[in-house]
Amino acid sequence: MTLPEFFGCTFIAFGPPFALFVFTIANDPVRIIILIAAAFFWLLSLLLSSLLWFAMIPLRDVLAFGVFFSVLFQECFRYIIYRILRSTEQGLHAVAEDTRVTDNKHILAYVSGLGFGIISGMFALVNVLADMSGPGTMGLKSGTEIFFITSAAQALSIILLHTFWSVIFFNAFDTSNYLHICYVVGSHLFVSLLTLLNASELYITTLLINYIITIITGVLAFRVAGGTSRGFKKFITCQ
Amino acid sequence: MSHAAAIWLLMLLQGTLTALGERTRDKMYEPILGASCFRRLNGTHQTGCSSTYSGSVGVLHLINVEADLEFLLGNPPSPPYAPLIPPHLFTRSNLMRLKEAGPKNISVVLLINNAEKMKQFSHELNCPNQYSGINSSETCDASNPANSWNPWGTGLLHEDFPFPIYYIAEEKEIDKLKDCFEKFNNKNYETHALRSLCAIEVKSFMSAAVNTEVCMRRTNFINNLGGSKYCDPLEGRNVYATVYPRNSTPNAIEGTKTDEKFILVTCRLDTASMFDGVGLGAMDSVVSLAVFTQVANLLRQILPAQSSLPDPRRNVLFVTFNGESYDYIGSQRFVYDMDKLDFPPKSAGGSPIAFENIEFMLDIGTLDDIANIKLHALTGTQLAQKLLEQLNTYAKSPRYGFNVNIQSEMSAHIPPTSAQSFLRRDPKFPALILNARPTNKYYHSIYDDSINVDFVYANTSQDFTQLVEVGDFKTLKAESLQMKVRNISSIVALALYQSLTGQEYTGTKVANPLLADELLYCFLQSADCPLFKASSYPESPTALPLPPMRYISVLGGSQESSGWTYRVLGYLLSQQKKIPKENCTILPLHFFAGYNNTGECRLTTQNYSHALSPAFLIDGYDWASGQYSTWTESTWSQFSARIFLRPSNVHQVTTLSVGIVVLIISFCLVYIISSRSEVLFEDLPASNAALFG
Repeated sequence: MTLPEFFGCTFIAFGPPFALFVFTIANDPVRIIILIAAAFFWLLSLLLSSLLWFAMIPLRDVLAFGVFFSVLFQECFRYIIYRILRSTEQGLHAVAEDTRVTDNKHILAYVSGLGFGIISGMFALVNVLADMSGPGTMGLKSGTEIFFITSAAQALSIILLHTFWSVIFFNAFDTSNYLHICYVVGSHLFVSLLTLLNASELYITTLLINYIITIITGVLAFRVAGGTSRGFKKFITCQ
Repeated sequence: MSHAAAIWLLMLLQGTLTALGERTRDKMYEPILGASCFRRLNGTHQTGCSSTYSGSVGVLHLINVEADLEFLLGNPPSPPYAPLIPPHLFTRSNLMRLKEAGPKNISVVLLINNAEKMKQFSHELNCPNQYSGINSSETCDASNPANSWNPWGTGLLHEDFPFPIYYIAEEKEIDKLKDCFEKFNNKNYETHALRSLCAIEVKSFMSAAVNTEVCMRRTNFINNLGGSKYCDPLEGRNVYATVYPRNSTPNAIEGTKTDEKFILVTCRLDTASMFDGVGLGAMDSVVSLAVFTQVANLLRQILPAQSSLPDPRRNVLFVTFNGESYDYIGSQRFVYDMDKLDFPPKSAGGSPIAFENIEFMLDIGTLDDIANIKLHALTGTQLAQKLLEQLNTYAKSPRYGFNVNIQSEMSAHIPPTSAQSFLRRDPKFPALILNARPTNKYYHSIYDDSINVDFVYANTSQDFTQLVEVGDFKTLKAESLQMKVRNISSIVALALYQSLTGQEYTGTKVANPLLADELLYCFLQSADCPLFKASSYPESPTALPLPPMRYISVLGGSQESSGWTYRVLGYLLSQQKKIPKENCTILPLHFFAGYNNTGECRLTTQNYSHALSPAFLIDGYDWASGQYSTWTESTWSQFSARIFLRPSNVHQVTTLSVGIVVLIISFCLVYIISSRSEVLFEDLPASNAALFG
């Protein structure tokens, strides 16, 4: 792919997370540390998933197996980071200059979710972006020209989803809302397995379903974080 | 609900399919195998081609008829293009028009191996090596191609192209290109600019530029610790051997001349073509090499012992020169060395041979049409007359039935062969040249192969080293190439026999056509052949079933052809000795596998001499003087080609603008949301209270 295509895809996938980072994370060192820590925990989950994939030689070719366990590992590590953050909350409260981090428990959830999302989006897309270097685009033997743009959009949806999932997930454990926990794990599994359909070039279908789920999850996260339709209306009408 | 279930099912099905570990890159690019044209430089110019540093990209366009070119040369919709040209349209005028269109419109030229309509294909000049021969306008007149030494020459080998030229030989690869062109490009030419098109990228960047002087200066200039090479001089090895072993006089005082008298028999070892690693030079030099080898073998077997010659100081020196296609590199060096009494090389031992030791030189030039051979000499001398008579004695003799008539031409219209280097030093040098009327329409090209010379391997598995009776055709047809080579080499060898012994040859044994058969097979079809096996050490690893590379190349190049010639000459020009294998280790004794692989110890005479132009030896040589060959070859890091889909500008701009729009929108949105979050999340304090309460 060519340089304009490369930048186009990078902007699509990482533009929104970058904006989030600039306006909500970058001005608070504690949030940056938590973001990086969350990214590190996601990498640990990836390590475990790959070890499992490597060990299960007969199942190496069955992608669904790897996907299933990878999702489980990611959710386990989301729980671990939840436990860690909750147990260090008092300490954070003492060191943080901006006490909003601990005052509003959703901020921690949001920051760690974005950390999860960014690193997972990077792993999803960087392989593709790296292979794109060169003068060509997809479509010579198989694949379509929109492959790169759909990959970027897919990566973006995963990044946003991880952010939303963390917000819902953290709150669900705080309030012992098992339905929400099930929803997070279930929708994660569903979205991940959905990408397997891309092998038969059903890009539009998967992308559409993906974004519907992203919106539903986003709305749920909004509700969980204390948003109301009244507030939303006020926001829209600029009151 | 049923819809969701269907999706789950589909996903599970997909998941159980075996995953292919295929990278995105493999889906985007398809490598194309071929041979690339590369850059050579001489004292004043650069020739050949080079891609841009990162590779040249062009949209494929198949040229079937000349009119198809107009589309590319006019105002093509989505430049640059890469025309796929069949050989019959690969003409000088077409290439020059493509060159003029420049790299803006034409970025790559692909030559496809589709020889159906091809009538001629020679990229050499009309007058090969015009500026390094004897200085006479009579030698060759480029303004009159019909009377030149290469009437079909286009001279493209000496042009500089601003784009890479890539030759694709294999049917499979050509089909890939054609299919891709048909599928993506060959429709709606007007909308080319809006669509993704099938394109090729060729990487063949040449690091040398301008001319040899500049490039050697850059190479020799130590500007960094690593030291980078931009070009290498064309360099190889000449092979020589004598029919009688020379008396090795280890106590000879250095620099003293010998009183030996030599008849010098020479021919050319190398060939040239536009593309790297392709080009056999069948008619332009393998045939003469075959004649040369046959003459050597026949002379060695029919000559009496040296002591019984009328003059026992006489000997025959066989030399085959390398790099002759590039301004006579090998013979220039030979002349230079001989002038300085540096021949044979010191490592080979033996006293130096000077020009005075050479009685005369018989140069075997190109033998395109074996029935039409002339004996050329600069001036009509008694020597030339005598040799012509001797040649014709055997050529016309009813006893042998060769039925060849050798004519003579005593003028400055001298063919472009090694003898020119000798005549250039001294026009009175007794050089005689056997050369046929030029009929080779594929001179110095990739199509000068076994088909061009009509060679069919007889593969008789019989002994090819022994001489045969003149009537024994060994199942070969009288008009076959092998028989023609046998005839002419017998004539030459018998004439030389007569010059050496002073007596007419009365035997009936002549050269063995099977030797020509085997040699041609080795050099044209496969180096894994009986002759090469016989002339190797027993149980040597088998050679690749490909013909040896015959381009002179550079230092560190394959040098296959000089290596094999060295062994073959060594084998055929040596005498068998009854010495066991253990004691047969020190040169000139050499152990060969032999024809029937039994192993034979032989007393050999062959050796190498260096074929590097004297221009690279002389300090402060004036590169533009034209005195010696100055050819160098540029270095390169890789040759590769791959096809892929080149995205249209529309597609690229769309992707980029979508990206930028997403970026801007998200920045605005996130800024607004984060600055007004208290409006969105108005009942936050309550939940905080729940947590910290």
